[in-house]
Amino acid sequence: MHVHERNPKRTLITIILFALVIVFGWITMKKPLFKYALTPQQTVDMVISHEGCFHPYELVKAIDDKSGEVVLIDIRNSFDYAKGHIPNSMNITASNLLEKKNIDQLDNWKKNNVRVVFYHDDQLQANGTWMLFRQIGYSNTFVLLGGYSNYVLHKDNLQEAKGKTCLKGTPRYDFAEVAKKSGAAVMDEGAKPKKKIKVRRKKKEKAASGGC
Amino acid sequence: MNKNYLFLTLLMLLLAVGTFFITKEEGYKNEIKPEALLREITQPSRYVTTDQVAKMIIEKDPTLELIDVRSADEYNKFQLPDAVNVPLKDILTEEGQDNLGIEDMNAVFYSNDDILADQAWVISKRLGYNNIYVLKGGLNCWIETIIRPVEPSETTSQTEFEQYKFRKAAGMYFTGASEITDSNGNGTKKPKVKVRRKKKEKAASGGC
Repeated sequence: MHVHERNPKRTLITIILFALVIVFGWITMKKPLFKYALTPQQTVDMVISHEGCFHPYELVKAIDDKSGEVVLIDIRNSFDYAKGHIPNSMNITASNLLEKKNIDQLDNWKKNNVRVVFYHDDQLQANGTWMLFRQIGYSNTFVLLGGYSNYVLHKDNLQEAKGKTCLKGTPRYDFAEVAKKSGAAVMDEGAKPKKKIKVRRKKKEKAASGGC
Repeated sequence: MNKNYLFLTLLMLLLAVGTFFITKEEGYKNEIKPEALLREITQPSRYVTTDQVAKMIIEKDPTLELIDVRSADEYNKFQLPDAVNVPLKDILTEEGQDNLGIEDMNAVFYSNDDILADQAWVISKRLGYNNIYVLKGGLNCWIETIIRPVEPSETTSQTEFEQYKFRKAAGMYFTGASEITDSNGNGTKKPKVKVRRKKKEKAASGGC
């Protein structure tokens, strides 16, 4: 007697079990909470275009703004925030920004086209956070040029300092000139205008090796 | 019964074909998750000071790789010794990527100040590169601390004087000044650069 004849529903049961396993796997599959909305290339383009910059002179409006078109977020720790912050700003430390309640808040702002401006002591320290949020799809986020330290320096004349307060990124010296000046006899290290760069190709398949 | 087998076979084949469509994950294989990227971003460990870099250059540290993310024009006018030019806009090109993932190298990004370099860092970090750093303060700070160090006032601590001495010597190393005039007015010929071994926790001191 053949095995199948004992239980004619055998095939059906197998199929159902199989389907169950797949459905179960599908449901329990870990879905990433955050996904990149920008590809690396789009990120590069975004950064180069300077579209996410919030100029200090725009703060004048934002500080008095009660309509909620602009939200200033101090991403320093609460201690620094307590010592002093830009008026009308709120404090969410950078490492807590991805918490559920803060993300809900950010989603809400995004829906209502509210501009969200991150700032830290220095523009540098807010740069990464701002870039991250741009990359995960919050196109309403901005970074305060110059950061809090620049704001403190210019807080009484933000409007007048319009052109001057955006100093980041520009050379303050003519590097070639300065570097040359102090040296009469130039050592060979510094003088060679252009060294031939040897590029070692990295090994392509390194990542996969040694896996399980 | 034969029909059952046929059915099962077809089902399996169908599912097998289906797998072709799910594994197509576009992009870079080492890309890290946004959460992990934020964790990395909030760490200040990626910043290196001009003193640290100057010391590495003088010591001819073979693991140091300087990456100039400014435009080719700016790079051609002035660059740090042995720096490679990868303008930020070209960082994702094959050439740019080749310069990043070199094994056992510590890549240090620098620009006029540190914003452009930091942006290059964030993008590279997302792509999963390790051992990448940002020169804090960039070339502006390089000029202010290494090429034109400011003499500390007399009341400052010994370590700051040590640091000043190192910077002064390093500055001459980089500019090729032939003689140094110390406070007594004595000229000395081409001093040997003494690299002061830095105490570990001092790393952040005196930056811009």
